[in-house]
Amino acid sequence: MSTCGAEDHVFVCRCEEITKEEIAAAIADGATTVRGIKVRTEAGMGLCQGRGCRKIIQQMLSQSGARPAAEVLPSTTRTPVRTAKISEFINEEDD
Amino acid sequence: MTRTADVAIVGGGVNGCSIAYRLAKAGKKVVLCEKGDFAAGATGSCDQMVILQSKNPGIHLKLALDSAELFQTLAQELDYDIEYFRHGGMITIENEMEMDVMTDFVAKQKKIGLEVDIISREEASKRQRGLGEHLLGCTYSAQDGHVNPFKLNMGFAQAAKKAGAELLIDAEVTDFKMAGGKVVGIKTAKGDVDAETVVLAAGAWSPLLGQKLGMKLPIKPRRGQIIVSQPCAPYIVGDILSAQYIVAKYHPETLLNAKSRGIQLGVGLAISQTARGGILIGATREFVDYDVSNTREGIREILKNAARLMPGLKNLNIIRVMGGVRPYTPDGLPLVGCVKGMDGLFMAAGHEGDGIALSAVTGKIVAGLICEGKAYTDVSALDPNRFELFAK
Repeated sequence: MSTCGAEDHVFVCRCEEITKEEIAAAIADGATTVRGIKVRTEAGMGLCQGRGCRKIIQQMLSQSGARPAAEVLPSTTRTPVRTAKISEFINEEDD
Repeated sequence: MTRTADVAIVGGGVNGCSIAYRLAKAGKKVVLCEKGDFAAGATGSCDQMVILQSKNPGIHLKLALDSAELFQTLAQELDYDIEYFRHGGMITIENEMEMDVMTDFVAKQKKIGLEVDIISREEASKRQRGLGEHLLGCTYSAQDGHVNPFKLNMGFAQAAKKAGAELLIDAEVTDFKMAGGKVVGIKTAKGDVDAETVVLAAGAWSPLLGQKLGMKLPIKPRRGQIIVSQPCAPYIVGDILSAQYIVAKYHPETLLNAKSRGIQLGVGLAISQTARGGILIGATREFVDYDVSNTREGIREILKNAARLMPGLKNLNIIRVMGGVRPYTPDGLPLVGCVKGMDGLFMAAGHEGDGIALSAVTGKIVAGLICEGKAYTDVSALDPNRFELFAK
């Protein structure tokens, strides 16, 4: 990697404290998808589930030229949309 | 562009990468081809357990013990922090039927060499708080542990690269290359690979590739749904399973007439806490083809089951659910070895829920069989030819 300035130490994923430098290293390692970044760095796996970092990571991926911007898709989103208490699921009536 | 290799590996999950690492280290020229990216299948949607107690006493447990031994020094060997921790494990026992099954199970496991005992509820409570009041007891083994599956997969991949293997991602295998009735390579989205041996390590997706060779592999995708809690302070000390899981896995006949929806979905408790604090709560075992989505019913049954065994979990928040398919086989053992009638093809798939635990030893076995014609131990029980592999 080229020289590393202060901006490279900025947290992209604040929940898991993954820096721009670490995301760039994952791209250099061959990641071409948001999920590929997650597997290599664990970015997007924290409390907010990638709401904060997803778009920055998509942008970094498309800028790297690994894939055309239109093909850099967000990773899979799954239940729940917000954190939810376990007891809420247990007490829920049948669908 | 056509690449040439001694061995071409299909599949970049934890087992494909473990095999790539061992073969490259043994001096083979290796090219691995992965359809998507690393840890894209079962590896990336599992819990994290390297648990020995769940293994059937026999070759299954013996291989898991050998694998756990390799895990002890694997981080050093790969020069990669795989976050392997051995904090022990327990299996909860709720009723007399489970107690009978586990008493027999534990006695047989001890004979194979596992350190495991049945302990009272009181003793279990000293090791783990929050257990249900109604439990009759638990089994306990200090040898159980867990590992970060992403890091394990990437650790094998990086070490394989360092040892000279070429690992291609976004390189879906579209067909096999044949010559004189032999498999002599693969065609992929990133070009052909000519190889003396092709290792099929595509987990639950292996049967789809086998079809291209006229094979009817006995591997079926089986979905597991898992729930992830918010990161929290250390709560789950080791890895916890329920005896339901063992009963469902090894005595499915006892559940045939079960009325509970949870049992029909194959729900058995599997719970552990990651290095970052999230608690993983599993899991279902469902045959729904390749559907990896989550269902409200599956999530609810998993959580109901978990909260019955550990009532303290009720007040936790969840942040994520996962769904993925694992490669089921009828006898619970993977297919590892050459295929009679299909020279050049080598199988290494069908680990179902044991892919992580057995990954370290699978690489060693495959490298032994390919490089020296024999593994370090008798693995004839894994011989793929124990099944009828070709469609009639």
